[in-house]
Amino acid sequence: MTPSLPDILVGNFLCLADPGPPEQQGEFMAGKVGLVALLSLLAAQETERGAAARVAENAAIRATLDAAAGAYRLDVAGLPSTEDLTFTALDHVNAALRKALIGLHEAVEARGDIVRHHAILRLYAQMAEWRRLDLPPLPAR
Amino acid sequence: MGLAERLEAYLTRIWGQPVRVADLSRIPGGASRETYRFVARVEGEARPLILRRDPPGSLIETDRSLEYLALESFHDKLPAPRPVAMDAEGAELERPFFIMERVEGGAVASPFTVMPYGSNARTVGEAFFDILGRIAGADVTGLPLARVAETPAPEDCWRIAVDHWAGVIEADEQHPQPIVRAAIRRLRRRPPPPPRAVRVVHGDYRGGNFLHAPDGRILAVLDWEMVHLGDPLEDLAWAIDPLWNPFDPGTVAGMLPRDEALAIWSRASGLPVDEAALAWWSLFAAVKGQAIWTSAAKEYRDGGFKEPILAVSGWYTARRHDEILAAALLRLEGLQ
Repeated sequence: MTPSLPDILVGNFLCLADPGPPEQQGEFMAGKVGLVALLSLLAAQETERGAAARVAENAAIRATLDAAAGAYRLDVAGLPSTEDLTFTALDHVNAALRKALIGLHEAVEARGDIVRHHAILRLYAQMAEWRRLDLPPLPAR
Repeated sequence: MGLAERLEAYLTRIWGQPVRVADLSRIPGGASRETYRFVARVEGEARPLILRRDPPGSLIETDRSLEYLALESFHDKLPAPRPVAMDAEGAELERPFFIMERVEGGAVASPFTVMPYGSNARTVGEAFFDILGRIAGADVTGLPLARVAETPAPEDCWRIAVDHWAGVIEADEQHPQPIVRAAIRRLRRRPPPPPRAVRVVHGDYRGGNFLHAPDGRILAVLDWEMVHLGDPLEDLAWAIDPLWNPFDPGTVAGMLPRDEALAIWSRASGLPVDEAALAWWSLFAAVKGQAIWTSAAKEYRDGGFKEPILAVSGWYTARRHDEILAAALLRLEGLQ
């Protein structure tokens, strides 16, 4: 997914390191600081759950592709895998797996394979849940 | 020369008399335009104004003349700022911009807070859906906006909308997104019925894009940069998208129960709500959102990671719209 966690954290530094012109102080800077605070909180969630989410998603997509490999003539063995648990390595594998999943789902829909179509939709819901970020319950100002 | 001096030179030229600019300050929020408040002093009079200028990078590529003409079309019909001047070339302020009158005495509530309208939620909600209904009910003929905006055939509204936002995802995607792609295919497989009439679509009508008074009255509908002509259900679906209401499942937009909101809209617009068509436009709303967040992620990276609003859009809202899309796809198949 983009932006990545390092993108966010580097961005939090960069956007505060450059104070900007006078007309961008005051209320605008306060708003910016609030956004940086929110991003920091979301980054804490991603730090805690992000690697596990990627490992789970990659395994689930691979299992879906494996299950369909025979019926849809998929080259699952050619897809990348990794033992490296960095976000970069997991995302590299994830991109290839997601691309293959998109191709499979298109083929499933074209064939009218309702059972597998529904299974993929359920997988999407699970993927979204794994990747979920929770907003803090901030009061209105 | 700073922005204030540039503004002074511009206003002095177009108004033909000396203008002083004071209290120039940027307003937070919004990534599609830089927004500044300032006071123009001319002939002893102080005019509170708003400058909307294109940013170096933006969530969405839009034609600012449409936003300007939308304000010209509606400022005397519903709460909306009166436009003052526009420079589509933008030579004098480095980028294209327009200026509008400033509406005083209100606040913009973030939809991402708990109870954003407090005890005024009902008052705000009744006005919010009434105004949206009035936009949807407005006869397009004769509006200044109609001079420039393309008028699609009713049966083409859905396709134009899907083609546009699917194209944005295609162009800006940096990581494969199977959920939104499945949603796009579903939209194309089962198109909605054409609208009864092609109407003005605000394009970003939602919590966070209007000013309201302490008593709950809506003082100004803002952020018309995605305005176009199309199916008015597009706006209604966007306004009630769950993204804009993270903490109150009993209402839409954190304001009113869904059936009440739709009844107010229908009464004000004179249009019925076709639930099947609204379901289609609701799925579309999440696709459109995901397209905007996809662009945000790209702009965040291209812009050197300096605008945190783009990071929030490209990250939290993108993840949330994946959840919304996945749930909608299951629901449309009759699955949990």
